[in-house]
Amino acid sequence: MGVSTTERIVIIRPEPRLGVPQRPLRRAQEGVVAGVCLGLAVRLGLRARTIQIFFVVASIAFGAGALLYAALWLLLVRSGETDSIVQRLTRRRAPANLVIIGLLAAMVLLVALHSLGAGWFGVTLVVAVTAIAGGALGVWGASHDERAHLRSVIEATPLSGALAVRGWRAVAWRVVPGIALLVVGMLISSHLGGLWSNVVPAFLGGAAVVGGVLLLLAPWWLQSALDLSKERRERVRIQERAAVAAHLHDSVLQTLTLIERVAEDPAQVRRIARTQERELRQWLYDPRAGAEMADSLAVALGGVVADVEADYQVRVELVVVGDAPMDDVAGALVSAAKEASVNAAKWSGADVVALFCEVDTTRISIFVRDAGRGFDLGAVPEDRHGIRSSICSRVESVGGTASVRSTPGEGTEVALSAERAGTKP
Amino acid sequence: MSLPTVFLVDDHQLIRSGLKVELAGAVEVIGEADEVDAAVELIIERRPDVVLLDVHMPNGGGQRVLRESLEAGSTSKFLALSVSDAAEDVISIVRAGARGYVTKSVDRDQLIDAIHRVAGGDAVFSPRLAGFVLDAFARDDPAGLADLDPELDQLTAREREVLRHIARGYTYRDIARELGISVKTVESHVSSVLRKLQLANRHQLSNWASERRLS
Repeated sequence: MGVSTTERIVIIRPEPRLGVPQRPLRRAQEGVVAGVCLGLAVRLGLRARTIQIFFVVASIAFGAGALLYAALWLLLVRSGETDSIVQRLTRRRAPANLVIIGLLAAMVLLVALHSLGAGWFGVTLVVAVTAIAGGALGVWGASHDERAHLRSVIEATPLSGALAVRGWRAVAWRVVPGIALLVVGMLISSHLGGLWSNVVPAFLGGAAVVGGVLLLLAPWWLQSALDLSKERRERVRIQERAAVAAHLHDSVLQTLTLIERVAEDPAQVRRIARTQERELRQWLYDPRAGAEMADSLAVALGGVVADVEADYQVRVELVVVGDAPMDDVAGALVSAAKEASVNAAKWSGADVVALFCEVDTTRISIFVRDAGRGFDLGAVPEDRHGIRSSICSRVESVGGTASVRSTPGEGTEVALSAERAGTKP
Repeated sequence: MSLPTVFLVDDHQLIRSGLKVELAGAVEVIGEADEVDAAVELIIERRPDVVLLDVHMPNGGGQRVLRESLEAGSTSKFLALSVSDAAEDVISIVRAGARGYVTKSVDRDQLIDAIHRVAGGDAVFSPRLAGFVLDAFARDDPAGLADLDPELDQLTAREREVLRHIARGYTYRDIARELGISVKTVESHVSSVLRKLQLANRHQLSNWASERRLS
């Protein structure tokens, strides 16, 4: 008993990383600081901005936001890593780590107790200390990757960034006059008395404040604007690359896989390779493909080539000079040309069929030629279907002419010609 | 008549070895190169009759090989061989001085015929190149801006007829019989078209290919 197996080719397309993780992973690469907010947002299906605002408000109002952030930083696993910072630190079992974590836990406990009513200490201070200690521990326990990310965050922040990149001296040149201007400006502004007598000092004060702010922030602002446009360009480039890769994957890679599978059948290989070659050429070189001339004569003839080559073992060499929109005349000529090409492919025995189309201001002419075995026109019965009805009558129905010339042993040429629509007087 | 000497320039090893196998016996392959600088140096040193030149190569491609060899006084004839169908590639390599253009899908006999023809000083047009040339010269110059030289910037009716037949897939021999002229006359018409293609300074021609791409 033969078991019939159907072979199927499955090509797995590289998908972008999608989907929601089970745990609220910290998204440290994309996040602003440690990626806590972004991780929560993805997990909860909320917008990251909402969570960030919540944390900021909670920090200002009770200090709890900062505390919570630090705790989550330590407890949540960063995406791409397997352990949270706390897990890593406890696993190392260094006494210092355990002491620090213990202290941190104690402080959290104190805060919790205070909120239950046992308030005999300055809660704000403890919250602040705990949050800062937690943050410090986060930085200390962070992986190499995450530290690199944090460093880039610090460098992107106005003052700390300038310090990290350029060093004290360069920054002092900008910061000292900047702060001085700010202070002077504010002093002048704060001593304003009457309305009109102080116009000049008020103006000076305002100008000084603005100047100070500009001096402090301008380099950072310029830098980030520059980064932004660079990033945008990069993104466009990546998108283009992805489009090319997707196309090559869909077409060329697919075809190569097919060819490997039918390697024992030369005719199949040739047919597949030829089809792919034509598609790739069209994609690379033909400006008309997919453009507004999608229904033009040249494109329709390209379709004829594709159909004939797919069905028969021939190569069709298409040359088109000029182009015209598709209408009844062009349509009749194209279908007649297709019939002629199929005849040539079927009967001539030639490997190549030449299909030439020339469009000028008044006429469309198409020639289909093969250098095959040819035939004796006189020996073909009057009623033979192919040439009579499919070719001649189609062209004659739009007022055109069709003629066939053939010499046995030398080849056949079908000439089709018709006046373009709208050019008749 | 001794076999014409041929030099191969192509950056793909597979294509070069394939060509050598195909051409064995019909021409004498006296060297090959896979990059521009080596090609120029060897072409000048070995003086082949015909250089089979790949259009697309790194570092300037076939055009640079052509330009630098001709500048260095090479008298070899260049036949461009490419997989590209892009009009600007075809037109620009011919304008740079190639004596002909055939696609890599051409069969053995046609390629050998083309090499012999080029070696003998004639031009070789593929059907597609003929189509491009017809298209490029078909445009009128209604505003008269280009200051056309009728000698160079227009094709004669006969030249057009010859190009049309090439585009229709006719061989030179077929064309001669069809038009009732000698093969030599067909060859001289094609050479004349080649000369016009290389020398015409009409604005349309130099911009034609790129415009075609944009339109």
